[in-house]
Amino acid sequence: MEVVRNAFDFSDFPKTDLLVVGCGLLFLLFFPLLPHSTFAMATMIQFLMFSLYGMGWNTIGGYGGQVDLGKAQYVGIGAYTTAVMLIRWDVPFWVSMPAGVMFSVTWSFIIGYPLFRLTGHYFAIATIATSLVLKDVFEVWDFVGAARGLEILATKYDAVDFTHLIFENDNYYYYILLAFFLLGILIINWFRHSRLGYQLRCIKDNELIAQSLGIDVHKSKVKTYALATAFVSVVGSFHACYIKNIEPEDTMSLDLSILIALMAMLGGAGSLWGPIIGAGILIPLKSYLKEWLGASAGLVGIDLILYALIIMVVSAVEPRGVWGLIEKIRARRT
Amino acid sequence: MTPLLRVERMTKTFDALVANREVSFQVNQGDLFGIIGPNGAGKTTLFNCIAGRYAPTSGRIFFDNRDVTSLSAHQMARLGLARTFQVYAASGDLTVLENVMVGCFLRTRSRFKARQRASEILEEFGLADLADTLLVEVPVAYQKLVTAATAVATRPKLLLLDEVAAGLNPTEVEQIMAMIRHINQNRGITVILIEHVMTLVMNLCHRIMVLDSGEKIAEGPPEEVAALPAVIKAYLGERYVQTQLGGQ
Repeated sequence: MEVVRNAFDFSDFPKTDLLVVGCGLLFLLFFPLLPHSTFAMATMIQFLMFSLYGMGWNTIGGYGGQVDLGKAQYVGIGAYTTAVMLIRWDVPFWVSMPAGVMFSVTWSFIIGYPLFRLTGHYFAIATIATSLVLKDVFEVWDFVGAARGLEILATKYDAVDFTHLIFENDNYYYYILLAFFLLGILIINWFRHSRLGYQLRCIKDNELIAQSLGIDVHKSKVKTYALATAFVSVVGSFHACYIKNIEPEDTMSLDLSILIALMAMLGGAGSLWGPIIGAGILIPLKSYLKEWLGASAGLVGIDLILYALIIMVVSAVEPRGVWGLIEKIRARRT
Repeated sequence: MTPLLRVERMTKTFDALVANREVSFQVNQGDLFGIIGPNGAGKTTLFNCIAGRYAPTSGRIFFDNRDVTSLSAHQMARLGLARTFQVYAASGDLTVLENVMVGCFLRTRSRFKARQRASEILEEFGLADLADTLLVEVPVAYQKLVTAATAVATRPKLLLLDEVAAGLNPTEVEQIMAMIRHINQNRGITVILIEHVMTLVMNLCHRIMVLDSGEKIAEGPPEEVAALPAVIKAYLGERYVQTQLGGQ
Protein backbone atom coordinates (compact mmCIF):
# COMPACT_ATOMS: atom_id res chain seq x y z
CA MET A 1 0.00 0.00 0.00
CA GLU A 2 1.43 3.30 -1.05
CA VAL A 3 -0.21 5.12 1.85
CA VAL A 4 1.77 3.06 4.35
CA ARG A 5 4.91 3.34 2.29
CA ASN A 6 4.56 7.12 2.21
CA ALA A 7 3.86 7.33 5.93
CA PHE A 8 7.10 5.54 6.77
CA ASP A 9 9.25 7.17 4.12
CA PHE A 10 11.69 9.52 5.85
CA SER A 11 14.39 8.99 3.25
CA ASP A 12 14.58 12.67 2.26
CA PHE A 13 16.08 13.59 5.63
CA PRO A 14 19.84 13.20 6.17
CA LYS A 15 20.95 10.43 8.51
CA THR A 16 22.05 12.91 11.18
CA ASP A 17 18.48 14.22 11.41
CA LEU A 18 17.09 10.77 11.85
CA LEU A 19 19.67 10.13 14.58
CA VAL A 20 18.51 13.25 16.42
CA VAL A 21 14.89 12.18 15.97
CA GLY A 22 15.71 8.70 17.28
CA CYS A 23 17.37 10.15 20.39
CA GLY A 24 14.40 12.43 20.90
CA LEU A 25 12.01 9.50 20.66
CA LEU A 26 14.06 7.48 23.14
CA PHE A 27 13.93 10.38 25.56
CA LEU A 28 10.16 10.72 25.11
CA LEU A 29 9.71 6.98 25.57
CA PHE A 30 11.67 6.82 28.83
CA PHE A 31 10.87 10.24 30.25
CA PRO A 32 8.30 8.97 32.80
CA LEU A 33 10.92 6.58 34.17
CA LEU A 34 13.44 9.35 34.77
CA PRO A 35 13.23 11.34 37.97
CA HIS A 36 10.95 14.31 37.34
CA SER A 37 8.57 16.68 39.10
CA THR A 38 4.81 16.60 38.47
CA PHE A 39 5.28 20.04 36.96
CA ALA A 40 7.78 18.67 34.44
CA MET A 41 5.32 15.89 33.58
CA ALA A 42 2.51 18.40 33.07
CA THR A 43 4.84 20.43 30.83
CA MET A 44 5.72 17.37 28.77
CA ILE A 45 2.06 16.55 28.28
CA GLN A 46 1.44 20.14 27.18
CA PHE A 47 4.37 19.82 24.80
CA LEU A 48 2.90 16.71 23.18
CA MET A 49 -0.56 18.28 22.98
CA PHE A 50 0.73 21.44 21.36
CA SER A 51 2.93 19.47 18.97
CA LEU A 52 -0.20 17.74 17.75
CA TYR A 53 -2.15 20.99 17.52
CA GLY A 54 0.75 22.44 15.57
CA MET A 55 0.99 19.43 13.24
CA GLY A 56 -2.68 19.85 12.43
CA TRP A 57 -2.32 23.58 11.86
CA ASN A 58 0.75 22.97 9.73
CA THR A 59 -1.17 21.08 7.03
CA ILE A 60 -3.37 23.98 6.02
CA GLY A 61 -1.32 26.81 7.53
CA GLY A 62 2.19 25.63 6.71
CA TYR A 63 2.03 23.48 3.59
CA GLY A 64 -1.03 25.33 2.30
CA GLY A 65 -0.02 28.84 3.39
CA GLN A 66 -3.52 29.67 4.65
CA VAL A 67 -3.05 31.46 7.96
CA ASP A 68 -5.70 29.97 10.19
CA LEU A 69 -6.22 31.70 13.51
CA GLY A 70 -9.34 29.83 14.56
CA LYS A 71 -8.12 26.39 15.51
CA ALA A 72 -9.37 26.75 19.10
CA GLN A 73 -12.98 26.26 18.03
CA TYR A 74 -12.15 22.67 17.15
CA VAL A 75 -10.33 22.11 20.44
CA GLY A 76 -13.60 23.24 22.00
CA ILE A 77 -15.82 21.00 19.87
CA GLY A 78 -13.63 17.97 20.60
CA ALA A 79 -13.37 18.71 24.32
CA TYR A 80 -17.06 19.46 24.76
CA THR A 81 -18.21 16.43 22.78
CA THR A 82 -16.15 14.13 24.98
CA ALA A 83 -17.05 15.88 28.24
CA VAL A 84 -20.78 16.09 27.54
CA MET A 85 -21.01 12.49 26.35
CA LEU A 86 -19.02 11.27 29.34
CA ILE A 87 -20.86 13.23 32.00
CA ARG A 88 -24.39 12.78 30.64
CA TRP A 89 -24.33 9.33 29.12
CA ASP A 90 -21.13 7.71 30.36
CA VAL A 91 -19.88 7.26 26.78
CA PRO A 92 -16.33 5.84 26.46
CA PHE A 93 -13.59 8.15 25.21
CA TRP A 94 -12.96 5.88 22.22
CA VAL A 95 -16.52 6.58 21.03
CA SER A 96 -16.77 10.23 21.98
CA MET A 97 -13.41 11.10 20.44
CA PRO A 98 -14.40 9.98 16.90
CA ALA A 99 -17.80 11.58 17.46
CA GLY A 100 -16.01 14.82 18.29
CA VAL A 101 -13.92 14.49 15.14
CA MET A 102 -17.12 13.97 13.17
CA PHE A 103 -18.72 17.11 14.63
CA SER A 104 -15.54 19.13 14.14
CA VAL A 105 -15.07 18.02 10.56
CA THR A 106 -18.72 18.68 9.76
CA TRP A 107 -18.40 22.15 11.25
CA SER A 108 -15.15 22.68 9.33
CA PHE A 109 -16.98 21.93 6.08
CA ILE A 110 -19.79 24.30 6.98
CA ILE A 111 -17.50 27.22 7.71
CA GLY A 112 -14.63 26.15 5.44
CA TYR A 113 -16.78 26.17 2.35
CA PRO A 114 -17.52 29.91 2.45
CA LEU A 115 -14.30 30.88 4.27
CA PHE A 116 -12.00 29.56 1.57
CA ARG A 117 -13.58 31.95 -0.89
CA LEU A 118 -11.50 34.49 1.01
CA THR A 119 -7.73 34.79 0.78
CA GLY A 120 -4.85 36.22 2.79
CA HIS A 121 -5.66 38.46 5.73
CA TYR A 122 -9.38 38.25 5.12
CA PHE A 123 -9.24 34.51 5.58
CA ALA A 124 -7.27 34.87 8.82
CA ILE A 125 -9.73 37.40 10.21
CA ALA A 126 -12.71 35.25 9.25
CA THR A 127 -11.26 32.24 11.07
CA ILE A 128 -10.87 34.34 14.23
CA ALA A 129 -14.44 35.54 13.90
CA THR A 130 -16.01 32.10 13.53
CA SER A 131 -14.02 30.80 16.47
CA LEU A 132 -15.10 33.67 18.70
CA VAL A 133 -18.73 33.36 17.67
CA LEU A 134 -18.70 29.68 18.55
CA LYS A 135 -17.11 30.49 21.89
CA ASP A 136 -19.89 33.01 22.62
CA VAL A 137 -22.49 30.40 21.77
CA PHE A 138 -20.95 27.91 24.19
CA GLU A 139 -20.81 30.57 26.90
CA VAL A 140 -24.59 30.95 26.94
CA TRP A 141 -25.55 27.37 26.09
CA ASP A 142 -26.87 25.74 29.26
CA PHE A 143 -26.72 22.19 27.88
CA VAL A 144 -22.92 22.42 27.89
CA GLY A 145 -22.72 24.28 31.17
CA ALA A 146 -22.59 27.78 29.68
CA ALA A 147 -19.75 29.98 31.00
CA ARG A 148 -19.24 27.80 34.10
CA GLY A 149 -18.17 24.95 31.85
CA LEU A 150 -18.19 21.28 32.67
CA GLU A 151 -16.43 19.24 35.29
CA ILE A 152 -15.62 15.55 35.07
CA LEU A 153 -15.60 14.02 38.56
CA ALA A 154 -12.59 11.72 38.64
CA THR A 155 -13.81 10.07 41.84
CA LYS A 156 -16.64 8.42 39.91
CA TYR A 157 -14.16 6.34 37.93
CA ASP A 158 -11.52 3.73 38.71
CA ALA A 159 -7.96 4.87 39.27
CA VAL A 160 -7.03 3.38 35.90
CA ASP A 161 -9.93 3.56 33.48
CA PHE A 162 -8.85 3.02 29.89
CA THR A 163 -12.35 3.10 28.42
CA HIS A 164 -13.14 6.56 29.75
CA LEU A 165 -9.53 7.70 29.71
CA ILE A 166 -9.56 8.75 33.35
CA PHE A 167 -6.36 8.12 35.30
CA GLU A 168 -4.99 9.16 38.65
CA ASN A 169 -1.45 8.79 37.46
CA ASP A 170 -0.33 11.16 34.70
CA ASN A 171 1.99 8.52 33.22
CA TYR A 172 -0.99 6.86 31.57
CA TYR A 173 -2.04 10.12 29.94
CA TYR A 174 1.52 10.64 28.84
CA TYR A 175 1.87 7.32 27.06
CA ILE A 176 -1.51 7.49 25.38
CA LEU A 177 -0.70 10.96 24.13
CA LEU A 178 2.73 9.79 23.01
CA ALA A 179 1.02 7.12 20.89
CA PHE A 180 -1.16 9.84 19.31
CA PHE A 181 1.96 11.93 18.79
CA LEU A 182 3.77 9.15 16.91
CA LEU A 183 0.70 8.39 14.85
CA GLY A 184 0.41 12.11 14.14
CA ILE A 185 3.96 12.23 12.77
CA LEU A 186 3.19 9.30 10.47
CA ILE A 187 -0.01 10.94 9.23
CA ILE A 188 1.74 14.22 8.49
CA ASN A 189 4.55 12.31 6.80
CA TRP A 190 1.97 10.60 4.63
CA PHE A 191 0.29 13.94 3.96
CA ARG A 192 3.44 15.71 2.77
CA HIS A 193 4.15 12.84 0.36
CA SER A 194 0.57 12.62 -0.85
CA ARG A 195 -0.91 14.14 -3.96
CA LEU A 196 -2.89 16.52 -1.74
CA GLY A 197 0.31 17.63 0.00
CA TYR A 198 2.04 18.46 -3.28
CA GLN A 199 -1.04 20.19 -4.61
CA LEU A 200 -1.28 22.31 -1.49
CA ARG A 201 2.32 23.44 -1.78
CA CYS A 202 1.59 24.42 -5.36
CA ILE A 203 -1.48 26.36 -4.17
CA LYS A 204 0.70 28.18 -1.63
CA ASP A 205 3.09 29.12 -4.42
CA ASN A 206 0.53 30.34 -6.94
CA GLU A 207 -3.19 29.59 -7.08
CA LEU A 208 -3.58 30.48 -10.75
CA ILE A 209 -0.93 27.99 -11.72
CA ALA A 210 -2.44 25.40 -9.41
CA GLN A 211 -5.78 25.77 -11.19
CA SER A 212 -4.14 25.55 -14.60
CA LEU A 213 -2.64 22.23 -13.51
CA GLY A 214 -6.11 20.85 -12.84
CA ILE A 215 -6.17 21.39 -9.09
CA ASP A 216 -9.54 22.28 -7.64
CA VAL A 217 -8.03 24.84 -5.28
CA HIS A 218 -11.13 25.35 -3.18
CA LYS A 219 -11.78 21.65 -2.71
CA SER A 220 -8.14 20.92 -1.82
CA LYS A 221 -8.19 23.64 0.82
CA VAL A 222 -11.45 22.45 2.35
CA LYS A 223 -10.17 18.86 2.44
CA THR A 224 -6.92 19.83 4.12
CA TYR A 225 -8.72 22.09 6.55
CA ALA A 226 -10.79 19.06 7.59
CA LEU A 227 -7.62 17.05 8.17
CA ALA A 228 -6.16 19.85 10.31
CA THR A 229 -9.44 20.00 12.19
CA ALA A 230 -9.42 16.27 12.94
CA PHE A 231 -5.99 16.54 14.56
CA VAL A 232 -7.02 19.42 16.76
CA SER A 233 -10.32 17.82 17.73
CA VAL A 234 -8.68 14.58 18.89
CA VAL A 235 -6.37 16.50 21.20
CA GLY A 236 -9.36 18.54 22.36
CA SER A 237 -11.12 15.33 23.41
CA PHE A 238 -7.97 14.25 25.22
CA HIS A 239 -7.75 17.66 26.89
CA ALA A 240 -11.24 17.16 28.38
CA CYS A 241 -10.30 13.85 30.03
CA TYR A 242 -6.91 15.10 31.14
CA ILE A 243 -7.82 18.53 32.53
CA LYS A 244 -11.33 17.38 33.62
CA ASN A 245 -12.53 20.94 33.94
CA ILE A 246 -13.35 22.70 30.72
CA GLU A 247 -14.66 26.17 30.07
CA PRO A 248 -15.15 28.07 26.82
CA GLU A 249 -12.51 30.52 28.03
CA ASP A 250 -9.64 28.04 28.04
CA THR A 251 -10.64 25.65 25.27
CA MET A 252 -11.86 28.13 22.68
CA SER A 253 -10.03 31.37 23.36
CA LEU A 254 -8.22 33.47 20.79
CA ASP A 255 -5.04 33.04 22.86
CA LEU A 256 -5.12 29.32 22.19
CA SER A 257 -5.71 29.77 18.47
CA ILE A 258 -2.80 32.16 18.21
CA LEU A 259 -0.52 29.99 20.30
CA ILE A 260 -1.21 27.00 18.03
CA ALA A 261 -0.30 29.03 14.94
CA LEU A 262 2.76 30.61 16.60
CA MET A 263 4.07 27.27 17.70
CA ALA A 264 4.15 25.98 14.13
CA MET A 265 5.48 29.25 12.69
CA LEU A 266 8.29 29.48 15.23
CA GLY A 267 9.42 25.92 14.60
CA GLY A 268 8.98 26.15 10.85
CA ALA A 269 5.70 26.22 8.97
CA GLY A 270 5.52 23.75 6.12
CA SER A 271 8.09 21.33 7.51
CA LEU A 272 7.52 18.00 9.21
CA TRP A 273 9.47 18.76 12.38
CA GLY A 274 8.64 22.46 12.60
CA PRO A 275 5.61 22.29 14.92
CA ILE A 276 7.40 19.85 17.23
CA ILE A 277 10.45 22.10 17.46
CA GLY A 278 8.18 25.09 18.04
CA ALA A 279 6.28 23.36 20.81
CA GLY A 280 9.56 22.08 22.27
CA ILE A 281 10.82 25.65 22.60
CA LEU A 282 7.69 27.56 23.50
CA ILE A 283 5.90 25.24 25.89
CA PRO A 284 8.70 24.77 28.44
CA LEU A 285 9.53 28.46 28.11
CA LYS A 286 5.95 29.46 28.65
CA SER A 287 5.25 27.25 31.64
CA TYR A 288 8.59 27.74 33.42
CA LEU A 289 8.61 31.48 32.90
CA LYS A 290 5.12 31.63 34.33
CA GLU A 291 6.21 29.48 37.25
CA TRP A 292 9.34 31.47 38.05
CA LEU A 293 8.30 34.98 37.18
CA GLY A 294 4.53 34.98 37.28
CA ALA A 295 4.47 34.31 41.00
CA SER A 296 6.14 37.53 42.03
CA ALA A 297 3.69 40.40 41.94
CA GLY A 298 4.17 42.96 39.21
CA LEU A 299 5.81 40.54 36.84
CA VAL A 300 2.62 38.91 35.66
CA GLY A 301 2.63 38.75 31.90
CA ILE A 302 6.38 39.03 31.48
CA ASP A 303 6.39 35.55 29.97
CA LEU A 304 4.07 36.84 27.25
CA ILE A 305 6.42 39.71 26.51
CA LEU A 306 9.42 37.40 26.36
CA TYR A 307 8.01 34.95 23.92
CA ALA A 308 6.58 37.72 21.83
CA LEU A 309 10.17 38.98 21.59
CA ILE A 310 11.47 35.59 20.55
CA ILE A 311 8.84 35.36 17.85
CA MET A 312 9.73 38.82 16.55
CA VAL A 313 13.41 37.93 16.40
CA VAL A 314 12.76 34.66 14.60
CA SER A 315 10.44 36.20 12.07
CA ALA A 316 12.93 38.98 11.39
CA VAL A 317 15.91 36.63 11.03
CA GLU A 318 14.26 33.69 9.25
CA PRO A 319 10.56 33.65 8.44
CA ARG A 320 10.68 29.91 7.88
CA GLY A 321 11.33 29.51 11.58
CA VAL A 322 13.90 27.43 13.39
CA TRP A 323 13.72 24.69 10.78
CA GLY A 324 14.39 27.24 8.05
CA LEU A 325 17.43 28.42 10.02
CA ILE A 326 18.74 24.86 10.29
CA GLU A 327 18.30 24.32 6.56
CA LYS A 328 20.02 27.62 5.79
CA ILE A 329 23.05 26.72 7.89
CA ARG A 330 23.14 23.31 6.28
CA ALA A 331 22.97 24.79 2.78
CA ARG A 332 25.87 27.12 3.60
CA ARG A 333 28.04 24.24 4.73
CA THR A 334 27.70 22.21 1.54
CA MET B 1 -8.60 17.79 -40.16
CA THR B 2 -10.54 17.43 -36.95
CA PRO B 3 -11.16 20.65 -35.08
CA LEU B 4 -9.84 20.58 -31.50
CA LEU B 5 -10.77 24.08 -30.46
CA ARG B 6 -13.49 26.25 -31.92
CA VAL B 7 -14.19 29.75 -30.66
CA GLU B 8 -17.44 31.26 -31.92
CA ARG B 9 -18.12 35.00 -31.86
CA MET B 10 -16.60 35.31 -28.42
CA THR B 11 -16.80 38.67 -26.67
CA LYS B 12 -15.27 39.56 -23.33
CA THR B 13 -15.83 42.89 -21.70
CA PHE B 14 -14.59 44.36 -18.43
CA ASP B 15 -17.12 47.05 -17.58
CA ALA B 16 -16.79 49.51 -20.45
CA LEU B 17 -13.62 47.98 -21.84
CA VAL B 18 -14.07 45.51 -24.68
CA ALA B 19 -11.11 43.13 -24.50
CA ASN B 20 -12.34 40.73 -27.19
CA ARG B 21 -15.03 41.53 -29.72
CA GLU B 22 -16.74 38.72 -31.64
CA VAL B 23 -13.58 36.69 -32.09
CA SER B 24 -14.04 33.45 -34.04
CA PHE B 25 -11.39 30.95 -35.02
CA GLN B 26 -10.70 27.28 -35.15
CA VAL B 27 -7.61 25.25 -34.36
CA ASN B 28 -7.25 21.73 -35.71
CA GLN B 29 -5.67 18.69 -34.14
CA GLY B 30 -1.90 18.86 -34.50
CA ASP B 31 -1.81 22.55 -35.43
CA LEU B 32 0.81 25.02 -34.32
CA PHE B 33 -1.21 28.20 -34.19
CA GLY B 34 0.16 31.66 -33.42
CA ILE B 35 -1.63 34.72 -32.11
CA ILE B 36 0.06 38.07 -32.62
CA GLY B 37 -0.97 41.66 -32.15
CA PRO B 38 0.04 44.86 -30.35
CA ASN B 39 -0.01 45.14 -26.56
CA GLY B 40 -3.54 45.42 -25.25
CA ALA B 41 -5.02 43.66 -28.28
CA GLY B 42 -6.71 41.13 -26.01
CA LYS B 43 -4.48 38.13 -26.66
CA THR B 44 -4.04 37.09 -23.05
CA THR B 45 -7.71 37.73 -22.30
CA LEU B 46 -8.54 35.37 -25.12
CA PHE B 47 -6.29 32.73 -23.52
CA ASN B 48 -7.89 33.32 -20.14
CA CYS B 49 -11.36 32.80 -21.60
CA ILE B 50 -10.36 29.62 -23.41
CA ALA B 51 -8.58 28.25 -20.34
CA GLY B 52 -11.57 28.90 -18.09
CA ARG B 53 -10.11 31.64 -15.94
CA TYR B 54 -12.66 34.14 -17.24
CA ALA B 55 -16.17 33.41 -18.42
CA PRO B 56 -16.80 35.01 -21.83
CA THR B 57 -19.43 37.74 -21.88
CA SER B 58 -20.97 36.19 -24.96
CA GLY B 59 -20.16 33.59 -27.60
CA ARG B 60 -19.23 29.95 -27.27
CA ILE B 61 -16.09 27.89 -26.94
CA PHE B 62 -15.92 24.24 -28.03
CA PHE B 63 -13.03 22.01 -27.04
CA ASP B 64 -12.75 18.44 -28.24
CA ASN B 65 -16.38 18.50 -29.47
CA ARG B 66 -17.69 19.76 -26.14
CA ASP B 67 -19.17 23.09 -25.20
CA VAL B 68 -16.74 24.28 -22.54
CA THR B 69 -17.81 27.92 -22.39
CA SER B 70 -18.72 27.87 -18.72
CA LEU B 71 -16.08 25.47 -17.36
CA SER B 72 -13.51 26.59 -14.79
CA ALA B 73 -9.75 26.47 -15.14
CA HIS B 74 -9.17 23.22 -13.27
CA GLN B 75 -11.96 21.50 -15.21
CA MET B 76 -10.37 22.58 -18.48
CA ALA B 77 -7.04 21.18 -17.31
CA ARG B 78 -8.71 17.85 -16.62
CA LEU B 79 -10.19 17.82 -20.11
CA GLY B 80 -6.71 18.20 -21.55
CA LEU B 81 -5.92 21.88 -21.81
CA ALA B 82 -2.65 23.14 -20.36
CA ARG B 83 -1.22 26.63 -20.33
CA THR B 84 1.69 28.74 -19.22
CA PHE B 85 1.50 32.25 -17.84
CA GLN B 86 3.08 35.36 -19.27
CA VAL B 87 4.31 36.68 -15.95
CA TYR B 88 5.46 33.97 -13.65
CA ALA B 89 7.37 34.55 -10.46
CA ALA B 90 8.21 31.35 -8.63
CA SER B 91 8.05 31.86 -4.91
CA GLY B 92 7.44 28.53 -3.30
CA ASP B 93 9.66 25.87 -1.81
CA LEU B 94 9.11 23.39 -4.62
CA THR B 95 12.07 22.00 -6.52
CA VAL B 96 12.03 21.70 -10.29
CA LEU B 97 11.22 17.98 -10.06
CA GLU B 98 8.46 18.52 -7.49
CA ASN B 99 6.99 21.23 -9.66
CA VAL B 100 6.74 18.89 -12.64
CA MET B 101 5.38 16.20 -10.31
CA VAL B 102 2.43 18.46 -9.44
CA GLY B 103 1.60 18.43 -13.15
CA CYS B 104 1.87 14.63 -13.24
CA PHE B 105 -0.44 14.33 -10.23
CA LEU B 106 -3.34 15.36 -12.46
CA ARG B 107 -3.27 11.89 -14.04
CA THR B 108 -2.05 9.75 -11.15
CA ARG B 109 -2.46 9.53 -7.39
CA SER B 110 0.81 7.69 -6.87
CA ARG B 111 3.87 9.67 -5.81
CA PHE B 112 6.17 7.05 -7.28
CA LYS B 113 4.51 7.18 -10.68
CA ALA B 114 4.45 10.98 -10.58
CA ARG B 115 8.14 11.09 -9.67
CA GLN B 116 9.07 8.66 -12.42
CA ARG B 117 7.05 10.46 -15.10
CA ALA B 118 8.39 13.83 -13.97
CA SER B 119 11.97 12.57 -14.19
CA GLU B 120 11.33 11.29 -17.69
CA ILE B 121 9.89 14.62 -18.76
CA LEU B 122 12.83 16.53 -17.30
CA GLU B 123 15.17 14.18 -19.16
CA GLU B 124 13.21 14.77 -22.37
CA PHE B 125 13.39 18.55 -21.97
CA GLY B 126 17.08 18.47 -21.07
CA LEU B 127 16.41 19.71 -17.55
CA ALA B 128 17.48 16.64 -15.60
CA ASP B 129 20.46 18.46 -14.07
CA LEU B 130 18.15 20.96 -12.42
CA ALA B 131 15.80 18.38 -10.87
CA ASP B 132 16.69 19.06 -7.24
CA THR B 133 17.18 22.82 -7.55
CA LEU B 134 14.50 25.08 -6.12
CA LEU B 135 12.49 26.58 -8.95
CA VAL B 136 13.08 30.08 -7.51
CA GLU B 137 16.83 29.64 -7.92
CA VAL B 138 16.67 28.59 -11.58
CA PRO B 139 17.45 31.24 -14.27
CA VAL B 140 14.37 32.78 -15.89
CA ALA B 141 14.88 31.09 -19.25
CA TYR B 142 14.94 27.71 -17.55
CA GLN B 143 11.95 28.60 -15.37
CA LYS B 144 10.03 29.04 -18.60
CA LEU B 145 11.16 25.64 -19.83
CA VAL B 146 10.18 24.13 -16.48
CA THR B 147 6.71 25.68 -16.53
CA ALA B 148 6.23 24.40 -20.08
CA ALA B 149 7.44 20.95 -18.98
CA THR B 150 5.01 21.08 -16.04
CA ALA B 151 2.17 21.95 -18.41
CA VAL B 152 3.13 19.03 -20.66
CA ALA B 153 3.20 16.78 -17.58
CA THR B 154 -0.58 17.13 -17.30
CA ARG B 155 -0.78 15.22 -20.62
CA PRO B 156 -2.72 17.87 -22.50
CA LYS B 157 -4.27 17.71 -25.94
CA LEU B 158 -3.87 21.45 -26.33
CA LEU B 159 -1.15 23.66 -24.91
CA LEU B 160 -1.46 27.43 -24.67
CA LEU B 161 1.88 29.23 -24.45
CA ASP B 162 1.76 32.87 -23.44
CA GLU B 163 4.93 34.72 -24.51
CA VAL B 164 7.38 31.98 -23.58
CA ALA B 165 10.18 33.64 -25.53
CA ALA B 166 9.78 37.14 -24.07
CA GLY B 167 12.98 38.52 -22.59
CA LEU B 168 15.17 35.67 -23.75
CA ASN B 169 18.41 35.99 -25.75
CA PRO B 170 18.67 34.48 -29.28
CA THR B 171 20.26 31.22 -28.07
CA GLU B 172 17.52 30.76 -25.50
CA VAL B 173 14.88 31.52 -28.15
CA GLU B 174 16.41 28.75 -30.28
CA GLN B 175 16.13 26.40 -27.32
CA ILE B 176 12.49 27.29 -26.73
CA MET B 177 11.72 26.88 -30.42
CA ALA B 178 13.23 23.41 -30.45
CA MET B 179 11.16 22.55 -27.40
CA ILE B 180 7.89 23.79 -28.93
CA ARG B 181 8.61 21.88 -32.14
CA HIS B 182 9.30 18.77 -30.09
CA ILE B 183 6.07 19.15 -28.10
CA ASN B 184 4.06 19.60 -31.28
CA GLN B 185 5.69 17.00 -33.53
CA ASN B 186 6.92 14.25 -31.24
CA ARG B 187 4.32 14.48 -28.54
CA GLY B 188 1.49 15.33 -30.90
CA ILE B 189 0.20 18.16 -28.74
CA THR B 190 -1.65 20.95 -30.48
CA VAL B 191 -0.09 24.30 -29.58
CA ILE B 192 -1.45 27.84 -29.59
CA LEU B 193 1.09 30.49 -28.77
CA ILE B 194 1.02 34.20 -28.15
CA GLU B 195 4.31 35.73 -29.11
CA HIS B 196 6.02 39.01 -29.94
CA VAL B 197 9.26 37.39 -31.04
CA MET B 198 8.54 37.30 -34.77
CA THR B 199 11.32 34.89 -35.75
CA LEU B 200 9.67 32.29 -33.55
CA VAL B 201 6.20 32.93 -34.92
CA MET B 202 7.29 33.01 -38.57
CA ASN B 203 9.42 29.89 -38.29
CA LEU B 204 7.20 27.71 -36.18
CA CYS B 205 3.55 28.43 -36.77
CA HIS B 206 1.48 26.74 -39.45
CA ARG B 207 -1.13 29.44 -39.21
CA ILE B 208 -1.40 32.75 -37.37
CA MET B 209 -4.15 35.08 -36.31
CA VAL B 210 -3.77 38.80 -35.71
CA LEU B 211 -5.72 40.64 -33.05
CA ASP B 212 -5.98 44.39 -32.83
CA SER B 213 -8.04 46.27 -30.23
CA GLY B 214 -9.84 43.05 -29.35
CA GLU B 215 -10.83 42.18 -32.89
CA LYS B 216 -9.51 39.63 -35.31
CA ILE B 217 -8.07 41.43 -38.31
CA ALA B 218 -6.37 38.58 -40.15
CA GLU B 219 -5.78 34.86 -40.20
CA GLY B 220 -3.78 32.55 -42.44
CA PRO B 221 -0.30 31.18 -43.16
CA PRO B 222 2.40 33.39 -41.58
CA GLU B 223 3.93 34.74 -44.83
CA GLU B 224 0.56 35.75 -46.24
CA VAL B 225 -0.61 37.38 -43.06
CA ALA B 226 2.63 39.31 -42.58
CA ALA B 227 2.22 40.84 -46.03
CA LEU B 228 -1.28 42.17 -45.41
CA PRO B 229 -1.37 45.99 -45.24
CA ALA B 230 -3.75 45.97 -42.26
CA VAL B 231 -1.37 43.80 -40.24
CA ILE B 232 1.62 45.93 -41.15
CA LYS B 233 -0.25 49.04 -40.12
CA ALA B 234 -1.56 47.63 -36.85
CA TYR B 235 1.38 45.65 -35.64
CA LEU B 236 4.45 44.86 -37.69
CA GLY B 237 5.29 48.33 -39.00
CA GLU B 238 6.91 49.33 -42.30
CA ARG B 239 10.44 48.76 -41.09
CA TYR B 240 9.80 45.10 -40.27
CA VAL B 241 8.47 44.49 -43.73
CA GLN B 242 11.45 46.15 -45.38
CA THR B 243 14.08 44.34 -43.35
CA GLN B 244 12.49 40.92 -42.95
CA LEU B 245 10.23 40.36 -45.89
CA GLY B 246 11.64 42.78 -48.45
CA GLY B 247 14.69 40.64 -49.05
CA GLN B 248 12.78 37.46 -49.79
